[in-house]
Amino acid sequence: MPGPDKETDLTERLEAFLSDLKRGGSGTGPLRSSAETARETTALLRRITAQARWSSAGDLMEIIRKEGRRMTAAQPSETTVGNMIRRVLKIVREEYARSRGSSEEADQQESLHKMLTSGGLSEENFRQHFAPLRANVIEAINELLTELGNLEPAVRLSVRLTSSATASFLKEGTTDNIAMQALEHIHSNEVIMTIGRSRTVEAFLKNAGRKRKFHVIVAECAPFCQGHEMATNLSKDGIETTVITDAAIFAVMSRVNKVIIGTQTVLANGGLRAVNGTHTLALAAKHHSTPLIVCAPMFKLSPQFPNEEDTFHKFVSPHEVLPFTEGEILSKVNVHCPVFDYVPPELITLFISNIGGHAPSYIYRLMSELYHPEDHEL
Amino acid sequence: MAARGGKQSRSGLSGRKGAGEQDEEEPPLQAVLVADSFNRRFFPITKDQPRALLPLGNAAMIDYTLEFLTSTGVQETFVFCCWMASNIKEHLLKSKWCRPTSPNTVHIITSDLYRSLGDVLRDVDAKSLVRSDFVLVYGDVVSNIDVSQALQEHRQRRKMEKNISVMTMMFKESSPGHRSRCEEDDVIVAVDSKSQQILHYQKTQGLKKMQFPMNIFHCGTDEFEIRHDLLDCHISICSPQVAELFTDNFDYQTRDDFVRGILVNEEILGNQIHMHATKDGYGARVSNLLMYDSVSSDFVRRWVYPLTPESNFTDREGQICTYSRHNVYRGSGVSLGHGSQMEENVFIDRDTSIGANCSISNSVIGNNCTIGDHVVLDHAYIWNDVHIASNVVISQSVVCDKVQVKQGVTLNKQCVLAYNVVIGPNISLPEGTVVSMHHPEEEEEDDEDEFLSDDAQVDQGKDKTKQKVFNPAEVGAEGKGYIWRASSLDDTEEEELSHCLWGLVLKPDPESDSEDSEPDGPDDPVIPSPEMDDVKVFQMEVLGTLQRGLEENIGCDNLVLEINSLKYAYNITLKEVMQILTKVVLEYPFQQQGPQLTPSQYVKLLLPLLKKWAPVFKNYVKRAQDHLDCLSAFEEHFLEQESHWTAMVKVLMNMYELEILEEEMILRWFSQGATNDQSKQLRKNQGLQKFIQWLEEAEESSEEDGE
Repeated sequence: MPGPDKETDLTERLEAFLSDLKRGGSGTGPLRSSAETARETTALLRRITAQARWSSAGDLMEIIRKEGRRMTAAQPSETTVGNMIRRVLKIVREEYARSRGSSEEADQQESLHKMLTSGGLSEENFRQHFAPLRANVIEAINELLTELGNLEPAVRLSVRLTSSATASFLKEGTTDNIAMQALEHIHSNEVIMTIGRSRTVEAFLKNAGRKRKFHVIVAECAPFCQGHEMATNLSKDGIETTVITDAAIFAVMSRVNKVIIGTQTVLANGGLRAVNGTHTLALAAKHHSTPLIVCAPMFKLSPQFPNEEDTFHKFVSPHEVLPFTEGEILSKVNVHCPVFDYVPPELITLFISNIGGHAPSYIYRLMSELYHPEDHEL
Repeated sequence: MAARGGKQSRSGLSGRKGAGEQDEEEPPLQAVLVADSFNRRFFPITKDQPRALLPLGNAAMIDYTLEFLTSTGVQETFVFCCWMASNIKEHLLKSKWCRPTSPNTVHIITSDLYRSLGDVLRDVDAKSLVRSDFVLVYGDVVSNIDVSQALQEHRQRRKMEKNISVMTMMFKESSPGHRSRCEEDDVIVAVDSKSQQILHYQKTQGLKKMQFPMNIFHCGTDEFEIRHDLLDCHISICSPQVAELFTDNFDYQTRDDFVRGILVNEEILGNQIHMHATKDGYGARVSNLLMYDSVSSDFVRRWVYPLTPESNFTDREGQICTYSRHNVYRGSGVSLGHGSQMEENVFIDRDTSIGANCSISNSVIGNNCTIGDHVVLDHAYIWNDVHIASNVVISQSVVCDKVQVKQGVTLNKQCVLAYNVVIGPNISLPEGTVVSMHHPEEEEEDDEDEFLSDDAQVDQGKDKTKQKVFNPAEVGAEGKGYIWRASSLDDTEEEELSHCLWGLVLKPDPESDSEDSEPDGPDDPVIPSPEMDDVKVFQMEVLGTLQRGLEENIGCDNLVLEINSLKYAYNITLKEVMQILTKVVLEYPFQQQGPQLTPSQYVKLLLPLLKKWAPVFKNYVKRAQDHLDCLSAFEEHFLEQESHWTAMVKVLMNMYELEILEEEMILRWFSQGATNDQSKQLRKNQGLQKFIQWLEEAEESSEEDGE
C-alpha cells in the first residue's frame, strides 16, 4: 500500500513540476523540449495512478482531472501537458471498458449516431470495481511512454499490441519516427526553407542530409534568433545552410522548393500555433505556391480551437526586443514580445507525424482517435 | 537513454531541475532574507504594515523575493523580521512557502533588537545558521535573475584562492537615466576587468566630482573599468565569512559599511569583493515610492517574466487573471462600465467594479475596489477595498487599503493616501501631499521607538486623534486624516522624509543623504559619508567608542583594543592617534553639554573622565615624543577655548597627578613649544606660570633628594 512518505514524495514531485512549468521558457531555467514535457507529464500521471488512493475508474479519472487542471493552469501555453492528460484519461476509459468486457471495436469506431447521442458511457458506469484495473492502466501508460520516449513506436492508436509485435520496424521515439520519413520528402538539390529551431525539423533534415545533398535556408526568427543555433547545428552535420533575416523571407521564397517547419501545437481545426514569424512564412509560401510541410509528433495535437482561450498567446519579457540597458527611452514606449503565431489550416500542405503524413483536413479524425470527446474540457 | 537516466536521478535527488549538477556535491544553497528596511522611506504607510508586505502588482513584495530565491535554486531561506514581525510571520505561514511540499524551506526569525543589516548578520553568525555560501537579499527585491552563474564564479574564486573573495555583488547593466535606477543607490564602481574584483565603490549621491584613491591605479592590474552603467540589485552572494566579519566589526551597520570596510582594509585583511554584472533578467529594490512606481510598471510590462500578473506565482486560490492586448490584465469578477477604457498597462484584480466612462492607464488596482463614473486614473496604485466616487482624477499616486475618495477629488502627482483615509468631496490635493490617519506630531513623539511593537502606540495614538480635529480645508468636508506636509514642519528630518517617500533628493547634499540612510536611533554613531577624510572619520569613531565605553562601562583594555583596530582601519599614525585622543577627551564635556559650560563646570566634568581613561592614555603616551604630541594637542585645544584658560592648569595638573604626563616633558613643552603669538600668550597665563614654577621647584627638590 502507498505509505505516507510515498504520497508526500508524489506531491513534492508534482509541485516541483508545476513550478518548473511556471518558470518554463523564461531563460532562467533550462528550456525543455515539448517531448520532454510530454514524457514527464505521463510519468507523473503514471505515478499518480500507482500511488493515489482510488477504487474505481471514476475516482481515478477525477484525480487525474483535478491534477490535470492544475498542471494546465500552471502554463497554459504548454498544450502538451493537457494533451497527455487527455491521452491518459482515454486509456483509463478503454481499460475500464475492456475490464467490463465490452468490445473495443464498438467503442472505437463510434458511429455517427453514437456521436450525436454522445455520453453513451456516462460517469456512473465507471463506479464498478475491478482488481486488475490499476495494473492494466499502468501497463498502458507504460506503452504510451515508450511511444513518446524510446525504443518502440507503439503507434497503433489505442489498439493494444503485445510489445514484441512492433519492436522490429522502428528503433526510437517520435522524433526519430518523423525523421525516418525524411527521404520521402526531401530530394537532391532541393532548396528547403525553415524558421527558428525545432528539434524535430533538425532531426528530419539531418536524417535526409545523410543520404542527399540539399540546401537549407534558415530564417533567424528574431528576437530570440533560435535560427542561428539551428544553422550551426545543421552546418556541423555538413548540410549547406544559409541564414536570412525574417524580413527577407518573402524575397527568398521564390527560390525555395519546400518549406519545412515545426510547431508548438497543432490545433483542432488543423491550424498551428507556432513560433512567431511562421504566419509570414506560410503566407509567403502560399503566394509562391511552395508546399508547406509541418513536422509535428502526435502529442502536439490538441483539441483546442484558436481564439478559444485568452491564454492562446504568450508574451515574454521585452528584453530581447529592446534591451533593458536602453535607458530613458524605455519609459516612453511600450514594448511587446509575443512568442507565438497562428497559422490557419488553409496555408498548410501536409502534416508529418510519427504515424505518417496527413492533410490538415484529416486532423479532426486523428483527434477523435486520440482523445475521448468528453475529455476535451478537462 | 543515458541522458534520460541522468535526468531522472537528478530530479529524484534534489526534487527539482535547474539546481544544476554541482548541487550534488555542494551543500544546499541558503539565503538570508532581511524583511526589514531599517529605514522609514515608506512612512507613514509602513506604520500600519511592514514594507515587505506592501502590495506590488497585487502581491506582497516578499513573495517576489521568495519566488526569486526559489527559482534560482535556494533550498533554505532564513527570513529575518523586526518591524511588525508578527504580520510577516502570519503572511508567510499562510503562503505557499510554508507548505510541506515547498522546495524552499523557510525559517522565520524575529527579534525586536535588529536595528540594521549588521545586527541581522551578527545574529546569523551567533546562531551559525549558514553552512556555506549564501544569498543575501532584502525583502523588497523584485528579480528574476538567475544567480547560478554568479554563484559558480563565486565558488570558483573561493576554490582558487581560499577565502579571499568574501562577496559577489549582483549588478544589472542599465544606462544612466533609466527609470528603474534609484538615484540614491546610484554607484560608481571601479573594477578589475579581468577578475571582476571591485577596487573602489562609491555612491554618487548627486555629486559632480568623484575622487578615486590613487592606489587602485597602482595595484598591478593591466586593465580596469570605471562603471556608471550599473543598477544595484541588492542581491549579493556571500561566503559565511561575511557574517563573521560583521561580528568582528560591530560598527558595520549596512552593506555599504561592509563594502567600504573591506575595500579599505583589503591590504590588511586580504579580503576582496567581486561583482557580477548581468545583462539578462531583471532585478531592482523597491527602496522608495518612485522605485515602487517604476518596478510596478516594469512588472505590468512583463519585464520580470515569468513573474507576470497572470502567472499567479503566489499560488493563491481564485487569483487567476486573464491577459489581453496592450498589457491589460483582468482578474475574475471584474466589471467595467459602459464607455470605460483600459488603455494600456492596467492590472485590475478580482471583484473590482469600475463605473462608466472611466479612463485607466498605467495603473494597478487591487481587489474589491469600487470606482465610480468619469474617473481618470494614470499611474495610480490603488490597493485593496478602496472606494473611489465619481469624477475623480488620480495621477501618479498611491492609495492604500480601505481609503475612500469622495466625489470630485483630484490627486495631483505623488500623493499618498495611507490606510483608512477619507478624502473629499470636491478638493484638489497639491503635488506631493501625504495623508495619514496618524498625526504627524504623534509620530514625532514615538519617533524613538519606532522599531518596537506598534499595537500599544496605535491605541495611544487613537486617543489623541479623537482630541485633534481633521482640517476640512485640507482633506475636504467629510475627510478624515492628517496631512503630513513637508513645509509646515521646521524639522529638517521631516522635510527629508516626505521627499524620501518619492525618493527625490532635492539638494544633492551628501551629508543629509548619508544621514537618512541610517536608522535614526538616537544613540547610533553617525557614520560619516565616504567623502570625509580618514582622520576626521577616525576622530568620530574614537568619540563614539569612548561614548559607548562610558555608557556600557567597557574596560579600558577593551577601549585600547578598539582604538587600535580603528587606527588600522583608517590608517592613522600613532602621532595622530595621540593628538586625536587628547582632543576628543578634552572636548568631550563640550560635546555632551554644549559649548556654554563655565570653566569650573568643565573641570568638574572632565576630571572624573580623565581619571577613568588614564589607563588609555598611559597605553599610548610612552615615549618622550608622545608626551609632546599629547601636550601640543592639549595646547591646540585650549588655544581654541580662550575662555577656559583658567581650567587649563587644573586639567594639566590632573594629568600630571594621574601620571599621564611627566613633569620633565611638561617643562620641555613649556620652554620650547611656543611658536606663535597666541601660544606665547598662553604660556604667560598666570596659573600656568605658577604650575610650572611649582614643577620646577619640585624637580629641583627631587634632584636634591636624589643626590
